[in-house]
Amino acid sequence: MVPNKKLNFIVIDDSKLDCFIAEKIIKNTGKCESIRSFLQAKDALEFIAATPPDDLSHTIILVDIQMPIMNGFEFVEAFENLPGNIVANYTIYVISSSINENDLQKVHNYKSVRQFLNKPLTSNNLSALLS
Amino acid sequence: MNTGEKIKVLYIDDEQNNLNGFKATFRFDYTIYIAANTPQAYEYLKAHPDIRVVLCDQRMPDKTGVQFFEEMRDQYPDPVRMLITGYTDIESVIDAVNRGHIFRYIKKPWTDNDVRSAIEEANKFYLTSSLLVLKNKELQSAYDELGKFAYSITHDVRGPLLSIIGAIDLANGINNLDELRELLNMMSEAVRKLDEYIKNTHEYYKLKRGMLQFAEINFNTLLSDIAALFRIASRNNNINFTSTVIQNEPFYSDEISIKMILNNLLSNAFNYQRKAASEKLVDVHIEVKANNVQIKVKDNGIGIHENHINNIFTLFYRATSEETGSGLGLYNVKDALNKLNGKIEVESEPNVGSTFIVTIPGRTHGTK
Repeated sequence: MVPNKKLNFIVIDDSKLDCFIAEKIIKNTGKCESIRSFLQAKDALEFIAATPPDDLSHTIILVDIQMPIMNGFEFVEAFENLPGNIVANYTIYVISSSINENDLQKVHNYKSVRQFLNKPLTSNNLSALLS
Repeated sequence: MNTGEKIKVLYIDDEQNNLNGFKATFRFDYTIYIAANTPQAYEYLKAHPDIRVVLCDQRMPDKTGVQFFEEMRDQYPDPVRMLITGYTDIESVIDAVNRGHIFRYIKKPWTDNDVRSAIEEANKFYLTSSLLVLKNKELQSAYDELGKFAYSITHDVRGPLLSIIGAIDLANGINNLDELRELLNMMSEAVRKLDEYIKNTHEYYKLKRGMLQFAEINFNTLLSDIAALFRIASRNNNINFTSTVIQNEPFYSDEISIKMILNNLLSNAFNYQRKAASEKLVDVHIEVKANNVQIKVKDNGIGIHENHINNIFTLFYRATSEETGSGLGLYNVKDALNKLNGKIEVESEPNVGSTFIVTIPGRTHGTK
């Protein structure tokens, strides 16, 4: 990961329970400075666009695929169109219950997406991706 | 398909005597249209799309019968084509039969029985192939919906299950009782969502496969049955629930479908409320007039953005993440209304509320 920087997290999922689980697991790692959850991808995008780039911290985004209004892929597309100095501050992980091959393949098309994670998020696979 | 009506037959020949003779012979058995040239034949085909059989003479001044059928097939593929010809043209006829342009040929001079049996055969062929087209359409739409279902199962069924697995995992490491309770509440919501999905799927299936049963409906009784369930929600969530029924005439329709429609519209009105609103309202107004029922369900909830309004009746479409929804409810409503020849209109404004207006014509008593 990025050394010597504070880690922030953004969780985007239309399921309240999944946001809750992710928040708890992230907190339990003890490596996180702040967590924000969004039930709607649009709100997350607005927040990211309005947050000035910060050289001292890095933010990890966990985003679900199937969500109403703006789905995970639409979010990633809109995110990649944000100014480069903002985009550089984030790493995206797509996390989904989908076992649909098209969804899994599609993830590779986005350069800002680091990896596809299967739901549910567990402390083991979160620690693995943070180390 | 109405088989009680006479079969419509078009006959094209450049000799007026043949046309007159044909019409005189068969007009009692079939509805006969006669055309002395191909432009006139096209006019009949255009005006009567239910013409099932077309007979054409091979030798005509402007073109041959085979040529006409080749042309006609692009624009009017459904009517069954039969050629009337003498032996001298047999080569071109064989060719035409082999290329699928004509169903049969009748040799000249024809006998009444030849023509009659050919028309009957052609009609059977017509019925079979149009039934096949219909069945294929139904199959295609069933396949499309099956595909949507298969995809949605990974999200709408697998999603809540994985959430619960994740939550159980998490709960193992929590010692604080309040935190555990909070988690349990969310888990029960996930289970409820799963159950709602299954119930909606069952409704979907019942609608697709079920037969309508028309009976007299008393809307006062029907509404009080359904409203009982919503009174509890109304008390628990502080929602002012009002209803009126105006029915001064008997009304015949399928009660199960109407209950399902009302249930879905009321569920939505109760679920999609604005949490912060001080005066939450749901109003249902049912009025039977001139053998039509109008059901109006009005709320002052979150409303629907105009970008989504055209899609809310689409299978698995969800316009909001505010509440748990399966994306099946309004699709089922629309499907039921299609079967009942009813319609639905929506007026909605975000943060002001939505009104759904359903109109259903009643069945005349005694008809099936």
